[in-house]
Amino acid sequence: MSSWDEAPDVVCHLENVQGLVDVLTAARWKRHQFALLEFSEHGVVLIVEETACLQAKVYLKRDLFIRYDYNAHSRRRFGLSLGLFVDCLNAFSVPAHSNLIQIQYPGPQMQLLLKSVDSPDASICAEISTRIPETIAWDYNFEPAGANPLTFTVKSAALKEAIEDLEWPGSSIQIILEPDPPSVTLRGEGHGDLQIDFMYYANSDLLVAFQCDQRTSFKYKYKFLRATISNMPSSVLKENRGSKLSIGRGGMLKVQHLVSIAKPSVSHAYGGDPVGYQQSGRIAHIEFYVKPEESDD
Amino acid sequence: MKFKAFLTDNGVNLLEKRFLPALDKIGKTCHLYLTRDNAIFLHNLLNGDGVQSVAQFRIQALFDDYRISSQNDDRIAFTIDVSLLLRALRSTVSISSEYGADVAAPDSDSSNRLQIKLVKKLPPNCTVAMPFLTVETRGYKSAVIQDIPISKPLSRAQVVELQNALEMAQDLPQTLVQVPDLIQLQNFVDRMKNVGDVLNVFISKYGDLRVDVSTTLISLGAEFRKLLVIGEQANEPAEDQNLSARSRSSKSISRGDGQTVQVSVKHFSKSLQCHLSKPDCAFYGIAPQGSCLTMIFQFFIPGSRQSDKSISLHCRLPVLDPGSS
Repeated sequence: MSSWDEAPDVVCHLENVQGLVDVLTAARWKRHQFALLEFSEHGVVLIVEETACLQAKVYLKRDLFIRYDYNAHSRRRFGLSLGLFVDCLNAFSVPAHSNLIQIQYPGPQMQLLLKSVDSPDASICAEISTRIPETIAWDYNFEPAGANPLTFTVKSAALKEAIEDLEWPGSSIQIILEPDPPSVTLRGEGHGDLQIDFMYYANSDLLVAFQCDQRTSFKYKYKFLRATISNMPSSVLKENRGSKLSIGRGGMLKVQHLVSIAKPSVSHAYGGDPVGYQQSGRIAHIEFYVKPEESDD
Repeated sequence: MKFKAFLTDNGVNLLEKRFLPALDKIGKTCHLYLTRDNAIFLHNLLNGDGVQSVAQFRIQALFDDYRISSQNDDRIAFTIDVSLLLRALRSTVSISSEYGADVAAPDSDSSNRLQIKLVKKLPPNCTVAMPFLTVETRGYKSAVIQDIPISKPLSRAQVVELQNALEMAQDLPQTLVQVPDLIQLQNFVDRMKNVGDVLNVFISKYGDLRVDVSTTLISLGAEFRKLLVIGEQANEPAEDQNLSARSRSSKSISRGDGQTVQVSVKHFSKSLQCHLSKPDCAFYGIAPQGSCLTMIFQFFIPGSRQSDKSISLHCRLPVLDPGSS
């Protein structure tokens, strides 16, 4: 047990466990998923990928934590089961309690250690075994397609609804960006056709931003597109943020979400101004990369 | 064999709002065992492997005008579907409250009482009469009668067996600790269900309670310290105070001050549903030789801190064989 005497590589404290559960749930598209967790002096990155076609990255900057002690010289990277990690964190999230937790790595057997640190007489502890990652995560190397970026921002809830509606035609979904009139079309063909248009001028409350100088069209596997949004917890969708979609060289699709993991204001029933907790810095970034099926051009 | 009684308002309230919802979560059917002095709801006492629960009421806590007679020392027992009894009581409560609104006179409750009795009836399309527990409400202008099918009353030998099982189930663990917040524990255990099936429960004479789920990939547990202890207690050696939860528990077990058992997470979670009966406190203990995990719920006389002796509820969780997990 001598390793306990030395300071562990990472010790961090997080205030709102439910926020972390929500963010990680967004990247959880199936039951058994292997995730790569990487600690560095800047914060934590979690990477999940599937068959070299879909990758999710969750960025938790060190400002999200109320304490972040990093004592290693190089990045600490390990693999663990995302499902177990989320289920375990969920056990720490007790409704109407402050849920301050400590995350520590490594434990005596290289585990990830979680501990509630609210009260000395009632505590929750967890140890999750980690493993050495088998492969280095594939670097998606997203590059803009041309001189001007091809990108649009759509309300997350509307995007989720549109993608769920496209389940019925199935298999593959075509995303078409049209500069004139500026619009985005999601089109599914299979057991019948379904086309959903977001017109920039007509739906400016849904399609918040749009940038495109030439007609662009790529096809993506439905199940991968769905993975980018369908697991987003409804509490996150209620925040009414937008999701930014960009198409890069070769049709690589990047979907970015911002998720607030600030403490929920409901827990401040003891009065006082909750302004101190609404730090805009308390935002986690989630990015999905989806490879296209084939090029249309 | 005869049984007939009137449920008091308090009795209806106890059963309909508190105990039957809790018992319904433990298991669909239970034994109802009626004697001259007590009415007892028993789960899994004769057929071994589930959560055993015993909810015992003095007759005065539930009934007035209670009449029971049988050739077996005035004892009657049968199995009944808890959810049907609950539904019957719920509907009679809604009917009588409707009538209660119509009839303002305070002396009208005598006509509006809820009678419960054992009957034999010939159900439609049957040639043999079947036993029922009948719940009858007499309203202002009409009566509502609900027949709840029950099993054939237990034979004399079966009642003896039930009585013996009941007596066996009264053994108290040597050390009991008071559980702080059942609803919070329930929340936690419900989330634990996703992680594993087997729960380790550790209880010490120092007032420690630890519940954890452990697999090769993960261990997840909650620990409560400095709980109120009833029965055998001891002071924790000072040198142990700052050790990790796991090493403290293994040290106290080796000293004979702590015990640990494995139970099914599902069973544990079911027994936590007993909080629906709104107990005033709950105690956990491990029976001698680790034969079962016992949970005892205590009820106070309303408005006091005195234990209400006319109501009791406790559960016993079967212990899993450590080899089988």
